[in-house]
Amino acid sequence: MARTTTTRRGLLSGLANGLMTLPAAVVYTGLTVVPVGYAVYYSFTQYNGIPSQAPTWVGWENYARIIADPIGDLRPAAWVTLVIAVVGAVLVNGAALGIAMLLRRTTAFNTFARAVMFYPHVLSALIVGFLWQAILGPQGAVNNLLENAGRSTWPFLSDPDWALVTLIGVIVWAQFGVQLVLYLAGLQAVSPELQEAARLDGANGPQVFRHVTWPALAPTVTVTIVTSILSLLKVYDVVLGLTNGGPGDATQTWAYEILAVSFANNKVGLACAQAVLLVVVAGILSFTIIALRRRAEEGAEAVG
Amino acid sequence: MTRTTPIRTALRVGLVAVLSIAMLVPMYIMVVNAFKPQQEILLSPLGFDLATLTTDHLAAAWQNTSFPVVEGYAVTLFLVLACNVVAIGASVPAAYTIARTPTPLFRFLLFFFVAGMFVPAQIILVPAIFVLKALGLMGTLPGLVLFMSSTMIPFTLFIFSGYIRMLPRSLDEAASIDGAGRQRILWTIVFPLMRPIVATAFILNALSAWNDFVSPQLILGPGSQFRTITTGVYAAVSTYTTNYEIVFPTLLLAVVPILLIFVLMQRHIMGGLSAGAVKG
Repeated sequence: MARTTTTRRGLLSGLANGLMTLPAAVVYTGLTVVPVGYAVYYSFTQYNGIPSQAPTWVGWENYARIIADPIGDLRPAAWVTLVIAVVGAVLVNGAALGIAMLLRRTTAFNTFARAVMFYPHVLSALIVGFLWQAILGPQGAVNNLLENAGRSTWPFLSDPDWALVTLIGVIVWAQFGVQLVLYLAGLQAVSPELQEAARLDGANGPQVFRHVTWPALAPTVTVTIVTSILSLLKVYDVVLGLTNGGPGDATQTWAYEILAVSFANNKVGLACAQAVLLVVVAGILSFTIIALRRRAEEGAEAVG
Repeated sequence: MTRTTPIRTALRVGLVAVLSIAMLVPMYIMVVNAFKPQQEILLSPLGFDLATLTTDHLAAAWQNTSFPVVEGYAVTLFLVLACNVVAIGASVPAAYTIARTPTPLFRFLLFFFVAGMFVPAQIILVPAIFVLKALGLMGTLPGLVLFMSSTMIPFTLFIFSGYIRMLPRSLDEAASIDGAGRQRILWTIVFPLMRPIVATAFILNALSAWNDFVSPQLILGPGSQFRTITTGVYAAVSTYTTNYEIVFPTLLLAVVPILLIFVLMQRHIMGGLSAGAVKG
């Protein structure tokens, strides 16, 4: 008797638990999990996205095409994206950590400066792209200043190599503020006693940083590197505003290739295969970094 | 701190000042050129002549039918609020249940949700369009809200469940002994205690909804009657990127409100971000 009540109660509470998670599960499953499943399915088909025509199963053909890359579409985009992710992540984190060290003490001046460093993040990446296009474009503010001063103009956006450099620079300008906030939060957690003790032992500024601050920051560094790489791998809006992928395909990123080339040309199967590969690459990169960082983080525990 | 010399402090302040100016120059260029005719923008991008400053181009940008400013703001604000209501409203009970039910099934459920944090929204957008089409929600605001909310749920739910786990269980148990039902415990006892983490989630979700371009552009479609700020700016500017009489005033109209909000809420926005990072 008592037992049946408990099981019934257990069942009822299980049902209630299920109901509590239902809304989140339905929305998330319907519009994230199911689309991921569809992306995987479509990636094995040839499909032009027209509802009246069914996708045709083609096996690994889309992936084979991406790897062989007969007309050179995804491979250059993948390189551009990896360069942006790696160089961008290094610069974003370098700038963020350097400026965090400058602004670590909470004074009125530093609080103001932190906000100034952060504000580009509240602007949409598309608008940031358009703004810098107006500043650095061939007719833009900087080139007009150079011309008016009688100097030669600079191909910030019109030369393929410079366009990529400019794109990375703009991304760093717009994004390092987020990582700056994370580093500032990480620096608050570094024990001041430990730093003071190191100083009393005769360590100079760089030595304190190298042996106390930097190891203690290890968990923050992992978070900032992984989040910055994940966001850099899907760069799209800022490209659209700044260069629209040009000149030529010099700044076409992976996400640009998926949305503005494959999908825009009704190659849904190919677009999905490219998307699946991007998620795989993002996953491999983040797990590799997390695994590599584990040792550094164990060091942080020893210091903290 | 012990060896900060005045010279060092001066160097540091000087460097920070230079960097701050470098960060602000693009805003200065945008603001000042929004009030100048094209000829002057080209001749002197940084300067301004009080005699020729004009609000004509700003007025023209305001009336531009590609970017209906007021409606753009209304639609964007609606998205910010609706997505947050759906994402937070769905995540609170789910996170509460997951945090308070330590069975393998619910641990797996948390993992299932958190996996979504690694799926970039732009990547599932293409197949999500087909799901929305099947549901008859393609090209509609509810469809857009559902899609954007679903991309917000993983992170929201993750930080919520971490936060609820820190709240003492004895609170729930005491209320339960007093005869309160599960929903009542959640919404009258636990939810009010979650205020700081809800604020963090709201701010982060609001920023991503406010600045999203790809989702509204593809789900609503370029020809939609609904324009957000970003899709409106794209429609107004993308084909006229060298007509600076259009570019600068349009961008100015698009960024002034969010910058005002940022200046007013700066502490909360940046604090919310670091709180989210520490939890996440």
